[in-house]
Amino acid sequence: MTSPVGPSSGNLPARRRMGAVLHVIFLAATLAGVVLLAILLADVLEHGIPWLRWSFLTSFPSRFPQQAGIKAALWGTIWLIGLTALFSIPVGLGAAIYLEEYARRNWFNTLIEINIANLAGTPSIVYGMLGLSLFVRWMALGRSVLAGALTMSLLILPVTIIASRESLRAVPDSLRQAAFALGATRWQTIRAHVLPAALPGILTGLILALSRAIGETAPLIMIGALTYVAFTPSGPMDAFTALPIQIFNWASRPQREFYGLAAAGILVLLGVLLTMNAAAIWIRYRSQRNVRW
Amino acid sequence: MASSSEFGLRLAGLRQKRKGRWTERAIEVFLFLCALLSVVTTAEIIWVLARETWSFFRQVPVFSFLFGTRWTPLFQPPSFGVLPLVCGTALVVVGAALVAIPLGLGSGIFLSEYASDRLRGILKPVLEVLAGIPTVVYGYFALTFVTPLLVRLFPATQVFNAASGAVVVGVMILPMIASLCDDALRAVPQSLRHAGYALGATRFEVATHVVLPGALSGVLASFVLALSRAIGETMAVTLAAGATPKLTLNPLESIQTMTAYIVQVSLGDTPAGGIPYLTIYAVGMLLFVITMGLNLLANRILRRFHEVYE
Amino acid sequence: MVENLQSGAVPVGDAILSCRNLTVRYGAVAAVQEVTLDIPEHQITAIIGPSGCGKSTLLRAFNRMNDFYLNVTTEGQALYRGEDLYAADVDPVEVRRRIGMVFQKPNPFPKSIFQNVAWAPAISGYRGDLKALVETSLRKAALWDEVKDKLGQSGLALSGGQQQRLCIARAIALEPEVILMDEPCSALDPASTARIEDLFLELKERYTIVIVTHNMQQAARVSDGTAFLSRGHLIEFGVTKTIFTRPARRETEDYVTGKFG
Repeated sequence: MTSPVGPSSGNLPARRRMGAVLHVIFLAATLAGVVLLAILLADVLEHGIPWLRWSFLTSFPSRFPQQAGIKAALWGTIWLIGLTALFSIPVGLGAAIYLEEYARRNWFNTLIEINIANLAGTPSIVYGMLGLSLFVRWMALGRSVLAGALTMSLLILPVTIIASRESLRAVPDSLRQAAFALGATRWQTIRAHVLPAALPGILTGLILALSRAIGETAPLIMIGALTYVAFTPSGPMDAFTALPIQIFNWASRPQREFYGLAAAGILVLLGVLLTMNAAAIWIRYRSQRNVRW
Repeated sequence: MASSSEFGLRLAGLRQKRKGRWTERAIEVFLFLCALLSVVTTAEIIWVLARETWSFFRQVPVFSFLFGTRWTPLFQPPSFGVLPLVCGTALVVVGAALVAIPLGLGSGIFLSEYASDRLRGILKPVLEVLAGIPTVVYGYFALTFVTPLLVRLFPATQVFNAASGAVVVGVMILPMIASLCDDALRAVPQSLRHAGYALGATRFEVATHVVLPGALSGVLASFVLALSRAIGETMAVTLAAGATPKLTLNPLESIQTMTAYIVQVSLGDTPAGGIPYLTIYAVGMLLFVITMGLNLLANRILRRFHEVYE
Repeated sequence: MVENLQSGAVPVGDAILSCRNLTVRYGAVAAVQEVTLDIPEHQITAIIGPSGCGKSTLLRAFNRMNDFYLNVTTEGQALYRGEDLYAADVDPVEVRRRIGMVFQKPNPFPKSIFQNVAWAPAISGYRGDLKALVETSLRKAALWDEVKDKLGQSGLALSGGQQQRLCIARAIALEPEVILMDEPCSALDPASTARIEDLFLELKERYTIVIVTHNMQQAARVSDGTAFLSRGHLIEFGVTKTIFTRPARRETEDYVTGKFG
């Protein structure tokens, strides 16, 4: 049967070629990211592995590269993240539950939503300035790990809220309806059914938010985390340093050896992040096996 | 029928006040306060920045701050024109956009329209890893890899330069654009694609003529959000782009961004209360206003032009 | 019977549920318009009508489930044993403990079978033996024999028909007086449907059942009285046999003979 356009429409081969070319271009664009990641990792590994010894993890920083270590920074980070988790989890989860389960669609709640979206996109250094004025000065907490944790909590709060809300939203409404129809109050329903169902997603989101916090440097610089610290914190009011600060410090030095130290520090930092992300993935995997709607 | 007494409180009637009524209210109030904290945070940020900026503008005219072309707050006599810092930021951000927008959009289109599920399952996590790398690592990468590479390609490149920062910030925001574009493109219903195919279009034509326009608001919003993120980026540019504020269009030169300036002052021993100290709040306020403007713009784009498919 | 009346309230006829000029709007659109109806106790009342005629909305009005939808206004009266369900100081939670609901798509909780049935009584302050209550409820729902050895298994692991019977058991566990059912069999296969229809006939001895259905044969098989709704209005309400053989209204006749809807 002949079609009015002819057995093959005139410009199809050209369009096909264009399509093939673009397919390659799009693929290349995507692979660019992969390639860059590979180069970055290779670079860090190449420079950092020679410096990665057990003594590196257990020594304090020093003017002499051979003796410098990351112990203070590692413990500082652990303290920081622990306290940050303590503050940000209840507040972030609470806000998400309110916004998702209780709030009605009025102008005020829409304002809160837009506000959270804006805060999520606010530069971290601005949070540092907030922390400086509010926690270090006004609350007189000084340059303590507590001030740092409170600042970090505010920083990751928007991300925590947004991720938790998504997990809550993913719980099918039929579950809530079933519970309500059985004469349950809203909180009873949330506690018994919505939260447990949303928990894996919430945990995953929290871990990812915390792993973002681990890598943040600018706010800590603003609130005065020290760059040369030869002790580990023993309480929330102690001064501290953190992994990214130490890395920054070493990377800013002009001497070449410190680049290797910085790379080793990066490896430790990436190791911590990898562990956290693996935990998040494991949780997601476990939960997907158990729950089927 | 089960004995009514076993149901305890049930019997009193439809109007009885349950014991739990007050607990319910208390819980709701607590949760509301948590949500309110976000509003309080923004108010607090604005308050902190505004207060010090106000002090600053009492001593330095707004006009000379916003439109002055020399930034030398520590010299005698000091000059407080912020344009060099803005220019430095702009140079980095434009460069980053040149890197990230084509690569990010291309990746997004590939992931959404071309990639098989398996390929997507591999590539998306890789992009997520890229997004999760701390900025200080990117700063290190700029110093040890990108700058030497640039120096080899363009011998005129200085040790600290805007281009290095731009490339690295671009790589940093690339996954964000890719991911958001991918989401936006995938939100376009399959039925629209089928309509395109049924009219004899090739895959590329459907992707660019049907799907992309159908996801335009999401794609544009992703660009705006990525730009906002690039503007606020601190550590990579502090390490790699330099500490010399100047008005220049040459990316191979050393410059200083707004964020790097704030870090520089914080690391130094500037006494609190003095003019140089106040400058970081003024610059911080400018930074906050710009990024907030962009965030609101992105929000507006999403809400206003949100495509309705049915 | 459970004593729960405050003094002064008088049941209307022998109706346990009734409405007077009930109008329910979503925004500006009235889904239920000026409906006046009496639901007799210990009977199965079916509500039939074409899609979108407001039958589900009417059903939900009786247990205050419309409260969860946006922009809903309810005018007129919905009464339970003569008490206005929408009076200002009525607690919807209490309403729902007396008037239960089973949904169109079975929605057991992602918990064990035991937990599914035991949860609501537990949070309502049930002080008796939960295990016995669970067994009784599952027996009444004709599910006990099939699940008695696997009460710890997830409710979601059951078949569709079993899940729906679990949902019925769950609703029964609270010992409501009325069970509202919104197209309870429409997501099930014919065999499960038949089993559940048999269940209805057993249940009506202890409970009042109101069932919304688009399946006219089901209404004819199972119900004692039938109400026909069209576009939000109650067209006719009467004994099922009459509605299906000699309906008074033309519109009813057209619908039950399949001329429309």
